[in-house]
Amino acid sequence: MTLDFSVILDNWQLFASGLWMTLVVALLSIAAGFLLAIPVAIMALSHRRWLRTIAGAYVEWFRNIPFIVVLYIFFYGLPFMGLRLPEPVVGGIALAFYASTYFSEVIRGAVLAVPKGQLEAARAVGMSYFMGMREVVAPQTLRLLLPPSTNTAISMIKETSVLSTITVAEITYQGLVVQGATFAPFEVFLTTAALYWLITSAFAHGMHRVERAAGAAQGSQQARHSLADKYLQLGMRRNK
Amino acid sequence: MSNSDAAPVAPIISVTGVSKWYGAFQVLTDVSLSVAKGEKVVICGPSGSGKSTLIRCLNQLEQHQQGSIVVDGIELGKSESAAQAVRREVGMVFQHFNLFPHLDLVQNCVLAPMSVRGMSRRAAEAMAVKLLERVRLGEHAHKYPSQLSGGQQQRAAIARALCMEPRVMLFDEPTSALDPEMVGEVLDTMRGLAAEGMTMMIVTHEMGFARQVADRVVFMDRGQIVEQAPPAAFFGAPVHERTRRFLSQVLH
Repeated sequence: MTLDFSVILDNWQLFASGLWMTLVVALLSIAAGFLLAIPVAIMALSHRRWLRTIAGAYVEWFRNIPFIVVLYIFFYGLPFMGLRLPEPVVGGIALAFYASTYFSEVIRGAVLAVPKGQLEAARAVGMSYFMGMREVVAPQTLRLLLPPSTNTAISMIKETSVLSTITVAEITYQGLVVQGATFAPFEVFLTTAALYWLITSAFAHGMHRVERAAGAAQGSQQARHSLADKYLQLGMRRNK
Repeated sequence: MSNSDAAPVAPIISVTGVSKWYGAFQVLTDVSLSVAKGEKVVICGPSGSGKSTLIRCLNQLEQHQQGSIVVDGIELGKSESAAQAVRREVGMVFQHFNLFPHLDLVQNCVLAPMSVRGMSRRAAEAMAVKLLERVRLGEHAHKYPSQLSGGQQQRAAIARALCMEPRVMLFDEPTSALDPEMVGEVLDTMRGLAAEGMTMMIVTHEMGFARQVADRVVFMDRGQIVEQAPPAAFFGAPVHERTRRFLSQVLH
């Protein structure tokens, strides 16, 4: 068996438009998912039990079902509620909700990792809970937030491939189209895989630079133990 | 220095019949205590005796469930706004300093005056620099907490609390987390504050400091105030068996 990649060159426009669709849907739904995750995390951290219960149920629900089922609920369900939206929009909304549950857990974990004494110190000097969270706790979560957020975002980039099942013309969908026309599965899907790899590794690389910049902003001031530094970087690499 | 015969001024802190439970465990039992303006009160006792819990109730980092606490004329426990009003007037210094690690010392100091009291950055920074100089950290004003020793961090934490111009200062074991050679510099800073007439409540195991600085020493055990007296009487002639046992342990 020989691989003949000319079928890819002949159909490059399809792959290019698929790549563009994947990028747009992934970035918008990840951004929306993260924003949506903030109120969910705030509720999950609340001292009011009913808010915690709502947030907990929301997270449990989305986290314990496969994304494809979430997608079907939105795709087949929304028209029954009188909402007819283009497939990429429905897919993006479903992915945003799905991602928000993972991001909310990431945010909750980062807030809990800030020592309790920080908020106490803020309150002891007269700041309100909200002010203390904003001025003292939130800035300290940033560095804790970045590595696990990168992981979650990469998972979500890969989940966009599921949108091919509702005919969103992203990379996997275009791969299927080209495969149907050319019967060259290895060439087609190795190319598809390479395109995903390109997106996720570029994203991971970019986020790593942001992490370093954020780390440098605080790291130059915080003499962290060199062993701790090494461990943290190992963690980041492994997490990729 | 004794204040026990002071004129009948209204106390700045008055605690009456306060009890508190963690679940079924009672941490404070019917605690009553009043502190006059300018008085320095040291609270001592074995660990788990409720002394930290008591001073944390005074600025409502912990809530009491029974009894009343009035600080600077404000009744606590009724509302969060009362607690915030009291916290604006009452500074607190923690065992683990709790400086904000993402801010340098000046920024640590100006955050509350600017955000809570609406002070201008200029005025707040001028005050921060003045107070950092007073705790002898002038040349470290633009360093971050992690660049400083424990003793320096604790002095910075005192300066941060003073930037709110508090009427009362609470100290929750301020030297317990320090290396022995750094205890002195923090106690010296606190002595300076005492000499200026600040009302202070101090939870500490530093009995030498208590003897020199306190107007009154309060001994707590198992959530109750067992005994309180001016230092001469407290150390010279403790009345209760539990106090004597405690003192024999801490004074070696």
